[in-house]
Amino acid sequence: MEEKILEILEEHCEEAIDYDGESMMEDGIIDSFTVINLISDLEDEFDIEIDAKYVVAENFKNKEAIIALVQKLVEE
Amino acid sequence: MQFISYSFVILWMLAFALYYLFPKKMQWYVLLTVSLLFYIIGLKGFPIGLLLTGVTTYGCGLYLKEKLEEEKEKLQQCADKETKKALKTEFQKKRKRVQILYIAFNLGLLVFYKYVVVALPLVERLTGTYAGFLEKVMMPLGISFYTLTAISYVVDAGRENCAVETNFLKVVLFLAYFPSVTQGPFNRFAPMKEQFEKEHEFQYDRMLRGIQRFIWGAFKKLVIADRLGIFVDRVYGVEPSAVPGSIFACATVFYMLQLYADFSGYIDMAAGVSETFDIMLPDNFKRPYFSKSVAEFWRRWHITLGTWFKDYVMFSFVMSGTGRKISKACKNKWNGMGKQVAPIIGTMLVWFFTGIWHGRTVSYMLWGVYYGVIMSISLVLEPSYAVWKEKLHIRDGKIWTFVRMARTWLIVFVADVLIRSGSMAQAGAIYASFLTRLDVRCLLSREITSYGISKYEFVLLFAVLLIWLMVSVLEERGEDVRTYLSHRPVIVRWVCYYGIVLLLLITGIYGGSYDTAVFMYQSF
Repeated sequence: MEEKILEILEEHCEEAIDYDGESMMEDGIIDSFTVINLISDLEDEFDIEIDAKYVVAENFKNKEAIIALVQKLVEE
Repeated sequence: MQFISYSFVILWMLAFALYYLFPKKMQWYVLLTVSLLFYIIGLKGFPIGLLLTGVTTYGCGLYLKEKLEEEKEKLQQCADKETKKALKTEFQKKRKRVQILYIAFNLGLLVFYKYVVVALPLVERLTGTYAGFLEKVMMPLGISFYTLTAISYVVDAGRENCAVETNFLKVVLFLAYFPSVTQGPFNRFAPMKEQFEKEHEFQYDRMLRGIQRFIWGAFKKLVIADRLGIFVDRVYGVEPSAVPGSIFACATVFYMLQLYADFSGYIDMAAGVSETFDIMLPDNFKRPYFSKSVAEFWRRWHITLGTWFKDYVMFSFVMSGTGRKISKACKNKWNGMGKQVAPIIGTMLVWFFTGIWHGRTVSYMLWGVYYGVIMSISLVLEPSYAVWKEKLHIRDGKIWTFVRMARTWLIVFVADVLIRSGSMAQAGAIYASFLTRLDVRCLLSREITSYGISKYEFVLLFAVLLIWLMVSVLEERGEDVRTYLSHRPVIVRWVCYYGIVLLLLITGIYGGSYDTAVFMYQSF
């Protein structure tokens, strides 16, 4: 699963893979359009629904946070 | 009572002394009392609007808390996955219904107050009574700011992104916190609550840093913004046919800088005051005029408003049932571009609301639509940027960065003519003057000094703009200027401190015919 998430993330934003800062959204690495398109592809791939309540900087601060979010929603 | 007044400084000093003398667990009561005093007596704000928003926000929060707890309890007793899903949907609907009612009521209040003011001159004409009195008495100052702040709390509480507050007074403090009540920034509840409840020790360095930021904000407001404002007001006050396009172009660039100096100056002052109480406000500006695209510009300008619209309009729409239906229906259409339909609708909604939030006129609506269209076009064209760059042999570097920054300036420039002009007709005439009567030589002739700014004032203006630019470049390189200065030799440090204070005292625009007290964003 992790590999697939990273693959999708890389398709939308290469920079996100090597990012090691505090917050990708706040640092402008991924903008709101990227987040929306990324969510759409993650939802399709893993058959999950990412509600607006999960779209916060904390859940998209780096690739690990995104992986954790998808894993949590898949398990639910 | 404005920030730049003796009475405010006295209130600040008294509040500061009381705050650190009070028992630490009760320090937030001092902030609450000062905030209410500042709002009701200092600003002569009509407290009923604030109270209504406070009560409904508090009540809605409690309702959401109760329903969320009830939902969790019922979910625990339930083992079947399908029943759990149905329960979740049922509770979500209940919560949403109340949230929609709450938002409609508070936005209704905002719309009522914003538009009732427009109707007052009409009342005056029809009845002959002095309606200006009503405007002064009834207008709840800061309503555009505290309403959006309150909505963010209720939505976050419903999304379980912040804890629900059970103390009504803390909700009131969150809405009425005096440094940010009239012009923002838009605070979020979770970080503010944490800071209000923390025990704060007095620290000399922190106090000094707060005062430094306040003075820097006042410098930007009084020395830069208000001086630029004299020129801008004079030029825009003249019949467009009487002024060459180049003078209007100069006035518009000055207006771009004036708006930035004025608003970021206010934010620096608010953040500085707040910092002395050990309450850090969120960043609202990150040197927007260094942006290489309009999208970046709006990520750096009025940041808390942008994130508010992104979180509560854009994402709410795209992730809603309607947004998802649109996305699904269009996803595979138009060579894959169909997936951008929902974000484009979301963007247009955001910019339409941003426009009407800023002003009641058609110009502001158009201004919002203009940015929405530009953002949407850039979203559609984004995949082809790399291809065109390659075809045109464009390499990344200083020149390309400069070109992109100039393009951003130009887009903002065009938009600012629209909102600074008194009417659409004036804006049209000014655009026409850029194309038909530019006459660049006027900028070097005596004419430029006939709009309220003398030759010496221009020299001073460029000198202070240069100081501002140097500070901005340092910040852009990741330096905290206050820390940077504190590590310089004492003589350098104090020359800088005294230099800024002296410039502020000697060259600040105080009183006279120009109203220094009012900040530009206060009218939004």
